[in-house]
Amino acid sequence: MKARQVEGLDPAAPLYPNAERIVRTRLDELRTLAPAALDPAASTAQHDMRIAAKRLRYLLEIVGPCFGPEAKTVHDAAKQLQGVLGEIHDCDEMLPRVWGIESLRELLRTRRELLFRQFSDHWQAVSPTLHTFSLLRGESGGELNDR
Amino acid sequence: MARAREVPGFDCEESFSASAERVVAVRAAEVFEHSDGVLDMDDIEALHDMRVATRRLRAALEVFAPAFPAKRHRKALKRVKALADALGERRDRDVAIEFLAGFADEAQQADRAAIEALIERLREEQRRANEELAPYVAAERLKKLRRRLCKLVKAAKR
Repeated sequence: MKARQVEGLDPAAPLYPNAERIVRTRLDELRTLAPAALDPAASTAQHDMRIAAKRLRYLLEIVGPCFGPEAKTVHDAAKQLQGVLGEIHDCDEMLPRVWGIESLRELLRTRRELLFRQFSDHWQAVSPTLHTFSLLRGESGGELNDR
Repeated sequence: MARAREVPGFDCEESFSASAERVVAVRAAEVFEHSDGVLDMDDIEALHDMRVATRRLRAALEVFAPAFPAKRHRKALKRVKALADALGERRDRDVAIEFLAGFADEAQQADRAAIEALIERLREEQRRANEELAPYVAAERLKKLRRRLCKLVKAAKR
């Protein structure tokens, strides 16, 4: 999945406003993918959401210090989403390879169901934080949208 | 997994380009620091650490793309992606073998032989992936990549 283009970046301008644009785009990308990924059988959507979570995670690893402590919460949420969606993807990749090994297929199916529930619960728990984009504040304490 | 190193002098009020220089320089250094022992299939963590470092570098290159001359950036990113892909191919097999080996002990007798055969197939793929990775982590190739990334950092737009 290609990352959405971030418009209006200015290399000569300070990092903060540029970072804010990128974070906003990546957060939006992640949130847009969620409804489709919450269908248990939608493995492609879940894979795309994993990539989006990974992008947000590594972005915040770089620019997180510009957004105060809330950025750590969002970073950790993205990391956890990436982790559980990654394990779901591992099950999806492994299942076709273990054709005929019934005990293993059963284990993988059960594991996938469990992981999907974890993903769904985690998303319910963190989406308000992600949704409330204005919770992210710049170093000066002003809301992102005001800067 | 190794934590990302702090970027000295990182400042949100500094220009996007200056931040790009600082971050990419540190993330690139981390990749090369983790290149020892990646071909050792008995210690899969070494490869994992280099893969994560490569992923962080790739993320930094993507985030800061507008700060660099387009052609130079495209070439550098292409090489980092190729390295990441080669590391990923090996890592996928490392993880699958570890998972199956853990499961084989508790599997039903009827399935055990099939699981052992699958592990053996994966070991063959792991060996092949390792052979394909070898040129990417050869000293000369990494030296070239390091030089390319140094030039990229120096070429950041002012």
